[in-house]
Amino acid sequence: MRVAALTKQILQAALFYEIWDAMKVTFKHMFHKPITFQYPREQRTLPDTHRGALALLRYDDHQERCVGCDLCEAACPSRCIKVISLEDPERPLQRYASEFYIDITKCVFCGYCVEACPVNALAMTKMYEFSTHDKRTLLFDKKRLYEIGERHLEDAKKYLYAHNQEKNVEESREYRYYFPQSVLKPTQPPPKHLG
Amino acid sequence: MGLKPGTNPDVEAVTIELSIDGKSVTAKSGVSLYDVISSTGKIIPAMCYHYTFDPFGSCGMCLVMQEGKKAPVRSCTAKAAAGMIIKTDGDDLFLARKKAVEKHLSVHPLDCPVCDADGHCELQDMAFRHGVTNLANAKQKFIPEDTRSPVLDFNMNRCIACAECINVCKDVLMIDALQFMKKGGFNQVVPKGDLALSCEFCGDCLAVCPVGAITNKFSKYLYKPWQMKKTTTTCNYCGDGCQMYLETKDAEVVRVTSPLSWKNKWGDRAETAKGHGGICVRGRFGFEYIDSAARLKQPLLRKGNQLVEAPWLETMHQVVDRFSEIRRKHGPDAIAGLITARCTNEELYLFQKLMRAGFQTNHLDSSARYGHLNFVHASQHALGIGRSPNDWEDLTKAKAVILIGSNLTETNPLTAVRIKEAIRVYKAQVVVIDSAVTNMAKLASHPVLIAPGTEGLVIDGLVKAALELDLIDETSVKKHPHAFEALKAAVAHVSLEQVAVQTRMSVESLKDTVTIFAEASRSIILCAEGIVRRPDGYQNVLKLIDLAWITGKLDQPGCGVNTVTEEPNEQGAVDMGAAPEFLPGQVSFNDQTARDRFAKAWDVTLPAAGSGANLVEILKGCKTGQIRALYVIGENPLATLPASMEVRAALDRLELLVVQDPFLTETARMAHAVLPACTSAEKDGTFTNLEGRVLRVREAIDPIGESLPDWHIMTALANALGCQWEYESSNDVQAEIMKLLPGYYNLGQPRKVVPVIDHYLSNGYAADVAVRYRASAPSDAKNGRPFALLMGQVLYHSGKLSTEAIGLITIAPNTGRLRMNPQDMERLAVSEGTTVRLTSDLGSMQLAVQSDHSIAPQTCFFPEHFNEPPVKDLMSVQVDPTTGVPTFKQTRVTIEKA
Repeated sequence: MRVAALTKQILQAALFYEIWDAMKVTFKHMFHKPITFQYPREQRTLPDTHRGALALLRYDDHQERCVGCDLCEAACPSRCIKVISLEDPERPLQRYASEFYIDITKCVFCGYCVEACPVNALAMTKMYEFSTHDKRTLLFDKKRLYEIGERHLEDAKKYLYAHNQEKNVEESREYRYYFPQSVLKPTQPPPKHLG
Repeated sequence: MGLKPGTNPDVEAVTIELSIDGKSVTAKSGVSLYDVISSTGKIIPAMCYHYTFDPFGSCGMCLVMQEGKKAPVRSCTAKAAAGMIIKTDGDDLFLARKKAVEKHLSVHPLDCPVCDADGHCELQDMAFRHGVTNLANAKQKFIPEDTRSPVLDFNMNRCIACAECINVCKDVLMIDALQFMKKGGFNQVVPKGDLALSCEFCGDCLAVCPVGAITNKFSKYLYKPWQMKKTTTTCNYCGDGCQMYLETKDAEVVRVTSPLSWKNKWGDRAETAKGHGGICVRGRFGFEYIDSAARLKQPLLRKGNQLVEAPWLETMHQVVDRFSEIRRKHGPDAIAGLITARCTNEELYLFQKLMRAGFQTNHLDSSARYGHLNFVHASQHALGIGRSPNDWEDLTKAKAVILIGSNLTETNPLTAVRIKEAIRVYKAQVVVIDSAVTNMAKLASHPVLIAPGTEGLVIDGLVKAALELDLIDETSVKKHPHAFEALKAAVAHVSLEQVAVQTRMSVESLKDTVTIFAEASRSIILCAEGIVRRPDGYQNVLKLIDLAWITGKLDQPGCGVNTVTEEPNEQGAVDMGAAPEFLPGQVSFNDQTARDRFAKAWDVTLPAAGSGANLVEILKGCKTGQIRALYVIGENPLATLPASMEVRAALDRLELLVVQDPFLTETARMAHAVLPACTSAEKDGTFTNLEGRVLRVREAIDPIGESLPDWHIMTALANALGCQWEYESSNDVQAEIMKLLPGYYNLGQPRKVVPVIDHYLSNGYAADVAVRYRASAPSDAKNGRPFALLMGQVLYHSGKLSTEAIGLITIAPNTGRLRMNPQDMERLAVSEGTTVRLTSDLGSMQLAVQSDHSIAPQTCFFPEHFNEPPVKDLMSVQVDPTTGVPTFKQTRVTIEKA
């Protein structure tokens, strides 16, 4: 009836009905449990395969793993890794990286370098909080990378296990690269199976 | 293995037909099947095969199926026979080759990440091509790496026993420094006798090794092959002009490789006659002078007693002001210039243009004056061509070579390899006439040891023997009967017995030599420092030309009288006119047509004809005070010339000495201004090598510090003096040279020259030749001193530039010792390291001795690259009256125990 419809209309106009109708969804959501993470107080649990900041690892006896082979430099699609390799003068024929730079501003965190590393020296950690006011600190040099490796050793190892690059067993941990030995000065004990 | 290469021109073989992959192919019988297959264009994988030497057959990759044989056949060692039916592809062959790769890989260590050959490894390539991903059983050798030598490391874990290194060293280079030895159950490549490697260190074994078994100590672990930029350039050490690749990474030269490392192995063996693509120890391991810490990075100006660094603008202002002042006050003849033959052609051209058009003086000279100009003048005077007429191919294919006055292996190793190939492949007869037991003498068919300084007499003897044995070529002498009679009269007094007594070369030997030379179809005479850097060099070269003329060897293809040059661009220095008697193009400075042409092209008046001073005259002018300003580019007269030339006094007297050099040399320390030049690795340009070939030098890295190319500095200097030169790059200079000397560059091929002797023989020859063969004792009479002291070049060094390369100094340091024959040492009762007193007519000094078997008795030797102790100061200087060449490499001394 025209009167009822008109009354409804006037009532709705007087009581701002459209607004309450639209706010129904909003009020309903007020009592929903929020899914927002209250970062930085709450942090997301990251999976083991998470590709965060890069780290250089050492063996259990504190020897550097990196042999300066430049394969990560070759694999990097953004060409942000720079390696200067040298022969260690105290240990002839041992190759190592005397300088190792990763420009983390160029890095796309693809993980190709970690895949390419033949001695599992590079790994990725769960660290993503390294913003700074000075852009120069974002050129990670060898010292920084080894520091990250020390601080996040567990995460780095877990990354390697998760990506099937290393096994979480005793033999894997003891395996290390056997360098050519100089006839003048041997620098490594012979491998286990040779006695 | 004795398989004659099919492309050897001497091989007499029947042509046969065989079928390869269904197609019929013709080939010579008995050649390697691999060569036949690759001549059809199909390349079969191979690892131990290299086209420069005979196939070895150890890797087992070059398998083909031959009908009638059950198992696949190794094509490299199979000889092609008529009616063979060969299949080169197919799944069965792929699997067979894959098995061969797996066999090699199963004893190969997993060293790829740390191996210097990663990326440039044939085993990697083969594994990739054949899809090898897993190995059934792998067994490592765990042999320690041989790091005893100062240059090369041998890692026998990686060795695949292909024997390429042994073959290249034994066959191609005839050095034979490596061998197989069974050690610890494995067949290993070791230096001869398993001692630390001590050889010529040419690095060809390093270049041909398909894997990383032989590595370079100087660049150990510093690079991976894919990271480097390769620049093709020409070596800066000697006149051979070898092409090499400067490999740079981040503006630093990391290593040097030769075309042999990168060349397609499946090349044409006949091409090796033009050069096998190797380089020598200097080129390969002597690159460290380029970024040495001793390089000058800033100009220096003298303030008081010191040289202080100054910016370019200030230095150039001072230099130009002082030059202009001297020219204004004392005229252009008070200015002189010296340039080194290590500069490029463009820079030499600009130098003589700067002196003649800019400073308006003809007092200029280059280091070609130290010997090469003797040859140039003789050759120009007699034959109308001022350079060696034969190229490397002619040298390789010669049938007879007389090598006189040249220790070729030490001075120009790659030319020596050409002669070695002539001996080995083309069966040439080589006569080596020298006063020491040189490396070539040990390999030659007819080595002759003569008394030092008697080369001139030997040539007299050879000419006389040719006449006595009637080995005369009738056609050549019939054209000039008068000249021939004059020659006969001139040598009438020469007696072969006398010559034999004085030179210690027997009459038999003289006769044999001439017979070999005259009767061969392709005969070459190669003379070098023992002739042109000694007194009477000019006359001796003319005598050699006489010998070649009467035996009819001047205008035949593949014959001629040649020389080798010590510095890379000595030929270019002469061609570009960097000498007071020459204009560019080797025309005489006094030739009016040429003078007009250049005056018009440069838009200046040239200094008067007949004016000008060469090296010796310039130094004399400095001493008397007539020359007040000297511009020295790359030269180091203070360290090169003996004290008797009084160079220090001469340079002290100068009002202005400007030195332009990459290093602070002894001469630079006396300068008023030192301008830092860059090395040949940092600029573009060309060199002309001893064949007359114009080779490109390319920029590999940017000039270090504030150093600049020589042409750039000279252009700035000229423009500041008022000439309006608009050279923005060395290409602009090249364009100008191309206009003035059309055909000079000739696209890198030596220009064909035809010796023309007629003019020389019909004009005044009789008078010339009458004095040429005058009877005389050797030019340095014994005057009571029993030993002959010789100074010369050693293989590991070149001039003084190589002493700035740390690598070469490591290999061959300055021992400071005099080299003597062990028998002489025994007679004098001195042993290794004992100090002796060395006395010549000019002075005396004390130094230790070392024994050296290649030194002849009654002679002693000291390398000319070192001035500690300054043995050169014992030498007296003799200046050739015709060519002005100063010679100071030989004198007589007394040796006593100190």
